[in-house]
Amino acid sequence: MTLLRRGGAPPRDTEGATPPDPSNDDRKRREQRQILLTRLDLRTSPYLFIAPFFLLFAVFGLFPLLYTVWVSLHDWTLLGGNQGFVGIDNYVRLAQDAKFWNALYNTFGMFVLGVVPQLLLAMFLADTLSRRIRAVNFFRMGLLLPYLTSVAAVAIVFSQLFGTEFGLVNYALGFFGIDPVNWKGGTFSSWAVIAVMVDWRWTGYNALIYLAAMTAISKDLYEAASIDGASRMRQFWQITVPMLRPTIIFTVIVSTIGQMQLFTEPVIFDGGSVAGGTQGQFQTVMMLIFEEGFRFNNYGYGSAIAWTLFVLIVLIGALNALLSSRIKGAQ
Amino acid sequence: MRASNRRHWKVAAAAVGAVALLTATACGGGDTAEDGEITLTIDTFGVFGYDALFEQYMEENPNITIEENNLSDLNADYVPALQQNIAAGDGAGDIVAIEEGIVQQFYLSQSDNFVDLGEYGAADIEGNYLPWKWELGKDAEGRVVGLGTDIGGMSMCYNKSLFEDAGLPTDREEVGARWETWEDFIALGEEFQKAETGASFVSTVTPYFNAMNAQGGTHTFFDTENNLVAESNPVITDSWDLAEQMADKGLSANLPMWSDEWNAGIQNNVFATLPCPAWMLGHIESTAGESGRDRWDVASVPGNGGNWGGSWLSVTTQSEHPEEAADLAMFLSSPEGQTSAWNEANTLPSSPQALEDPAVTEFTRDYFNQAPVGAIYSETAQQLEPVYYGVHNAQVSEEFRKALEAMEQGQASPSEAWDQAISNSERAAGQ
Amino acid sequence: MTTTLNPPPTRPTPAGGGGRNRARRAKGSSGMREATPLTYIGLTITVLLSVFPLWWMFVVASRDSAAASARPPQFLPGGNFPANLERLFANTTANFTLGLTNSAISATVLAVSVVLFSSMAGFALAKLRFKGRNVAAVGVVVTMAVPVQMGIIPLLMLMGWFGWRGEIISIIVPFMVSGFGVFMMRQYCIQAIPDELLEAARMDGCSTFRVYWSVVLPALRPAMIVLGLLTFMTQWNEFTWALAVLTPSNPTVQLAINQLNQSAYSRDFALMFTGSVVATLPLLILFFVLGRQLIGRIMEGAIKS
Repeated sequence: MTLLRRGGAPPRDTEGATPPDPSNDDRKRREQRQILLTRLDLRTSPYLFIAPFFLLFAVFGLFPLLYTVWVSLHDWTLLGGNQGFVGIDNYVRLAQDAKFWNALYNTFGMFVLGVVPQLLLAMFLADTLSRRIRAVNFFRMGLLLPYLTSVAAVAIVFSQLFGTEFGLVNYALGFFGIDPVNWKGGTFSSWAVIAVMVDWRWTGYNALIYLAAMTAISKDLYEAASIDGASRMRQFWQITVPMLRPTIIFTVIVSTIGQMQLFTEPVIFDGGSVAGGTQGQFQTVMMLIFEEGFRFNNYGYGSAIAWTLFVLIVLIGALNALLSSRIKGAQ
Repeated sequence: MRASNRRHWKVAAAAVGAVALLTATACGGGDTAEDGEITLTIDTFGVFGYDALFEQYMEENPNITIEENNLSDLNADYVPALQQNIAAGDGAGDIVAIEEGIVQQFYLSQSDNFVDLGEYGAADIEGNYLPWKWELGKDAEGRVVGLGTDIGGMSMCYNKSLFEDAGLPTDREEVGARWETWEDFIALGEEFQKAETGASFVSTVTPYFNAMNAQGGTHTFFDTENNLVAESNPVITDSWDLAEQMADKGLSANLPMWSDEWNAGIQNNVFATLPCPAWMLGHIESTAGESGRDRWDVASVPGNGGNWGGSWLSVTTQSEHPEEAADLAMFLSSPEGQTSAWNEANTLPSSPQALEDPAVTEFTRDYFNQAPVGAIYSETAQQLEPVYYGVHNAQVSEEFRKALEAMEQGQASPSEAWDQAISNSERAAGQ
Repeated sequence: MTTTLNPPPTRPTPAGGGGRNRARRAKGSSGMREATPLTYIGLTITVLLSVFPLWWMFVVASRDSAAASARPPQFLPGGNFPANLERLFANTTANFTLGLTNSAISATVLAVSVVLFSSMAGFALAKLRFKGRNVAAVGVVVTMAVPVQMGIIPLLMLMGWFGWRGEIISIIVPFMVSGFGVFMMRQYCIQAIPDELLEAARMDGCSTFRVYWSVVLPALRPAMIVLGLLTFMTQWNEFTWALAVLTPSNPTVQLAINQLNQSAYSRDFALMFTGSVVATLPLLILFFVLGRQLIGRIMEGAIKS
């Protein structure tokens, strides 16, 4: 609907498109129409550009979301359906629920262990791969392999590595006289393994995003810096990082959201269970949502946890954005 | 199958997803019934052994096409998907398979989602099923909503070569005689551990706890009014005590059941016994592979038989062809159908006629030293009583698994583990 | 799609100069950003770690299921791969070929639509001035924070109303836009497209669409390739929603693989992993082709010498 004609562009069949006419009057009219169209263009096209996203989101994102809010205000089980309106009872229960606080604690713990090294490493790898390197295609592909390996294979590999009885890691530790570690059994040890899984799967993913962003940095900047005698380290901190600021904010926020919704890796680690170990030592909030909603069939309560998590993520995301926007711009 | 309220939504859908429709209209299709052509879908998990039966049925009823939607993993995939389909009111098959652990979750608390099979003549065929199996297929009002398929009669598998290493008897009759009771079983286990073969007597205490519960009588975690009675039911406390003894006396290899480590344990001869419902034989065979041939053997189970696992078939109210679906369900679960499934996949029949069929009673399993598994299973199956599991059985039983593992791995003392099991069960049961 | 008369330039041509010349100069300058042997060692270790599960998947696929839990583990492939491959395509219950087709269709459509809609919205949110822009930008980010688990049931209901249950359209339409994509494109636009460039195009009398098509899109290319690739891969490996909404008779490739492991109550790892290996091949090829494009942009021909 927004076919906006401009000088240089070939004529198109817009509403009442005019055939080109050389006469002066017509030109004037055309110029006027041009101005009108420009104004219309400037005013409406931004909305048209964002419309597909928001329209589709409204149907397939917003509707489920609002439905969930509605459910969270009810005593709603998957077995018996809606048992009646209970107001904020589900949220009150949540505040006193030790299992929720445990899950939140675990989620934060793994968040700290998982995100920080992952982004630093990704940045470092991207910087390395943006240099002149032989077989660069091979290395880049290698980085993304974890993301394209099927989850089933990943599950079995990691249980091979970190099994108590047969795990390769314990096998290796045995050479140093260290007794087998029950990785799944301990709180910190299970977090560490999950953080390793997360980093393994997502570092290359983030590195690729950084890499794409680095292409936009003008090489002149580096050239000038190297003429000034700046070391590579200095160039990295004073050119690359500041220039990448928008992308860094992007990855920080996306990783925060992803990590706060951590689900796949710990579930894999627990052999498909959402319990998070024998005593919930690595149950995340997302796993608790699933457990309450689909295992215990408390759809209402599960929805309340989901909504609380949503609000928490938004708050933490905002905090993160604030912090990472303090990276100084280069210009 | 779901054409009725589809049409006017198509309009709305077209408006919303115009772009999408342009790109994806090629994927239309659907399974609407036209010209008497009917497609029946059946949702199953694991292996039911129905391939030959489907073929036979479609041959006899040329207007019917059967589509089997099989999900291999019961707990991780099948149950959540079925529950979601039931809750969303759409997407479940005409016929769905319901496993023992979830039978009351579906038949007691949401039986209005299932068709009363009595209306389609199921009442006349009651004699085709073991009485306890028949009873469990009814809902609270006594409507027949599920028809029994297989059952999980019990036996005890043992690793013959490890028994030999430990200087224990290896003949299946002798072994069975050494563990008449669970106390005997534990005593034999201590003897086994003393021989220091490097292996453990049990993999993890959970399957033994389950097996002992299954032998306990009328109910387990819940009483027949669906109250959680795990804390006071002697069946549970006794089983727990015995499981605790096993852990305490160091019989366990501490490998969580069904984990990759547990499977590796089967393959590498790390533990010597395993409670074996009929369906477990297949798991051992495919996990241990050729190297395990003739290593494992099958003896009678300590205590008095018991049942672990098995399923029912139900017709959902979502079905647009309940009559045809009911007919197919009755065909599949008939004595002949169950015998055919046994021949195909060794699923132990729940039909007394099929259990007396020579194809079952005279069956020996090559992989397990020609063990006469047909006879071992069918003997105990006839005398079983129905066990009331309760609506939240699957959830509570999972909480007990976790507590038992925490105990045997030393993360919790036995009393801490018991408290954990009880308090988490209350939560899992919604109390 | 009205601008095909003027094909977009194949490379971004920023006003004045152009990155290409600059890059050439950079290449000519000192080996400042040259890699050291240490770099190669580090990278090789990283790649080995990354490649290991995939390699190991192939090892099991070329042996039998027992290899998946064998101790000590097997690290070298056996000779069973062709046999397993034959079993894979002979397996009628898993519908593996149909799964491949369905995944290829849905992942391609989604990659294209996500890239298109994201670049449009990202550009608007980054570079166009309009009322409510900041609210919309924050809104996009907030959409990502929605926990999807509980939304499964209402979404399933929606699919039921539309009559899309079990059909491939149900795994496409709900995911044609992505907050992640819009956010990524917005951030990249801010960083990679100087305002002067757009103003210059405006001065030339370009419409917004024209600016988007001829100036913005070419400049966004590296990010678009990455987004398209990631979207394709995510969709290719998606499992949870497909499991909820589709049936094994009309599966995606991941559903089909999940079906492959059935043998009475246990897992046929060899067959499953053969399926996984085959399913990974298209991704590898795609990455190789697109990766080359991407690298072309990044290196600006620097290695050719």
